[in-house]
Amino acid sequence: MPMIDMPEFAGDLLAEFAERDAERVNTPVIQPAEPFLDMAGEDLRRRIFLTESETGESLCLRPEFTIPVCLRHIASATGTPRRYAYLGEVFRQRRDGSNEFYQAGIEDLGDKATAAADARAIGDALGILKRVLPKVDLRLTLGDQAVFEAVVKALGLPHGWQRRLIHAFGDMAHLEALLERLARPQPVAGLDPDISAMMAAGDEAGLVERLDRTMQETGYSTNASRSPAEIAKRLKEKLELSQTRLDGTALLLLREFLTLQLPLSDAPAALAGFADAAGLKLGDAVSLFSARLQSLADAGADISAMTYRAAFGRPLDYYTGLVFEVTAAGSTAVLAGGGRFDRLMTLLGAREHIPAVGFSLWIDRIEAARARQ
Amino acid sequence: MNAITIALPSKGRIKEETAAVFERAGLSISAVGNDRSYRGRIAGIEGVEIAYLSASEIARELAAGAVDFGVTGEDLVREGMPGVDAKVEFCARLGFGHADVVVAVPEIWLDVETMADLGDVAADFRARHGRRLQIATKYWRLTQQFFSAKHGIQLYRIVESLGATEGAPAAGQADIIVDITSTGSTLRANHLKVLSDGVILKSEACLVRARKPGHDEDGRISQIIEAVRASL
Repeated sequence: MPMIDMPEFAGDLLAEFAERDAERVNTPVIQPAEPFLDMAGEDLRRRIFLTESETGESLCLRPEFTIPVCLRHIASATGTPRRYAYLGEVFRQRRDGSNEFYQAGIEDLGDKATAAADARAIGDALGILKRVLPKVDLRLTLGDQAVFEAVVKALGLPHGWQRRLIHAFGDMAHLEALLERLARPQPVAGLDPDISAMMAAGDEAGLVERLDRTMQETGYSTNASRSPAEIAKRLKEKLELSQTRLDGTALLLLREFLTLQLPLSDAPAALAGFADAAGLKLGDAVSLFSARLQSLADAGADISAMTYRAAFGRPLDYYTGLVFEVTAAGSTAVLAGGGRFDRLMTLLGAREHIPAVGFSLWIDRIEAARARQ
Repeated sequence: MNAITIALPSKGRIKEETAAVFERAGLSISAVGNDRSYRGRIAGIEGVEIAYLSASEIARELAAGAVDFGVTGEDLVREGMPGVDAKVEFCARLGFGHADVVVAVPEIWLDVETMADLGDVAADFRARHGRRLQIATKYWRLTQQFFSAKHGIQLYRIVESLGATEGAPAAGQADIIVDITSTGSTLRANHLKVLSDGVILKSEACLVRARKPGHDEDGRISQIIEAVRASL
C-alpha cells in the first residue's frame, strides 16, 4: 500500500498488528450514518460529517472504526474468534485538533476466555504504544462496569433501580441525581385519581382495558409503539420504585465505592475489604476482575503502575465490563482507549452472542507525544 | 462610519409588533422607496439600515454576523448556532411572540410525567421495540442539549420534522415530539401532554445583537439598545 500521507510510524503499527496475529481490514470511508447514531446516540450528530445520498439515505464520513469493522465481520459471515486490525483516517468535528485524523486499533471478536482477552487487549495497546513512544512514561487507568453492577445488585435494590443506576454508570452527574432521588424519594405526582385508585386496588387488567379504549378512541392504537400493557406495567413499577428509599448506610457505601481509586495491584484486596465491611457478596464480577489481573501479571505487566478507578465507565449500553485509557504521565490526552463491548455485535445484527473487546489508538496525539519526547 | 444593519421580520403580526416597539422607542422607520420595499432607514440616526427578512433568515444572518441586530424568536437563534451566548447578546425581550419549546408525549403514557420517566422508557426502548425512541422535531440542537447535557438521556433518535410535528406520534412517524406551543391547544387536540419538567425554553421575540468588533466604540449601538429597553 502507498505510505504517502500515512503517519511516519505506520510501518511499526502494521508490523505490530502482524506480530499480534491481527488481520488488517479496511472499510469504506463513506458509511451509512444509522448505525453510529443508533449505537452512540444523537449526541454524535453534531460531531460527525453527515451527508445524504441521492435517494435520501443518511451517510457519514467514517467517525471511528469499531462499528464498521464489526458490521464487516457480520456481513462476511465468517466464524469467530477473529482478530481484526485497522489503520486509517476518521472524520469528526472537533473543537481542538484536525477534523480528519488517523486511528488504529485491534478488535478481538468471539474469544470466550474473557479475562485473558481483556488482558491481551490491554497488553496489545500498551505494547504498541511502547514501541512508538519508547521514551514516554505511560499511565493506564482501568474501570469495570461489571463490578459496579455487582455492587448495585448486592445492595438489594429493586431491578428497576438497578437498571437506572447501571444505565447511568460513567456519567457522574446523572448518577449523583439518581442517588439524590434514592435518598429522598418523591411521591408520584400528576396521576388521575381514578387511575390511582385502580393502581391501589391492583386492578392492572382494568387499567389495560381503559388504556386500550382511550387509544381506540383517539386513533392512536394502529401506530402505537407502547402498548397498554407496557404502559400499565411500567406505571406499576414506577409507583413501586418511587417508594424505594436507600438507607443512609447503603447510600454511603455506594458513594464510597464510587470514590475508590488506587493502584490496580491493590484493587482485589480493596474490593474484598469493601465487600466484607459492607456485608456484600460481589461474586463472579470480582473473580473475573482478579482473573484479568492475574492474566495481566502473567503476561509481565506491571499492575502496580496501573490505576483502578471504580467510577470509570462509558454510559453507552453496549459496554459491559472492562474499560481502559492510556495517557502520558502529566497529560490528560488519551493516547489509547478501549473496553469490552459484549452487547454491540447483537445490537448491530449478529445472530449469535459474540463477546468483543478492543481498543483504538489516537494517532495524532501519539504524533504530538513523539514530537515532545 | 460603518453602516449598522438591523434585520426585522418581514411579515405577519411579529412585523407589526416589532414596528410598534421601534415606534415607542423613538426609532421611527421609514421605508426606502415604496411601502412594500424590503429596505428601510431609521430617522435621526445616521447610517442605520433596516433589512426585512423572514424570522429564520434573521437567525441565520445573526449567526453569520452578516447583520448587527435582529428581531426574532429566541428559539430560532438558540437552535441556529452552537455556542450562542458567545456569538450574540440578547439585548431585550420584547414581550410578544411567546412560544415555549417543550417535550410532549402521548397523553396515554400515564407512566411518563417527567424527563426521568422518559429516561427510563428510552433506556429500555430498544430491548422492547427493536429500535430507539424516536423524537419528531425541527429543534435538533435544543433537543440534543436538553436530553443529553441536562438529563443524561443519550439513547433516542431524532426524526426531522418540518411541519405538523404534533401529528407525528399518532401517524407513527415518531414516539414523542419536541415543538413550540403557545397555548397548548394544538398539543391537546393531538392527545399530547407536556412533561412537568419538559419546558426546554420559554421563547419570545428578542432584540439580538451579533457580537462584532467595533460595536463597543460605536455610540449608535448602545443608543439603539437603550432606546428599545426604555420603551418596554
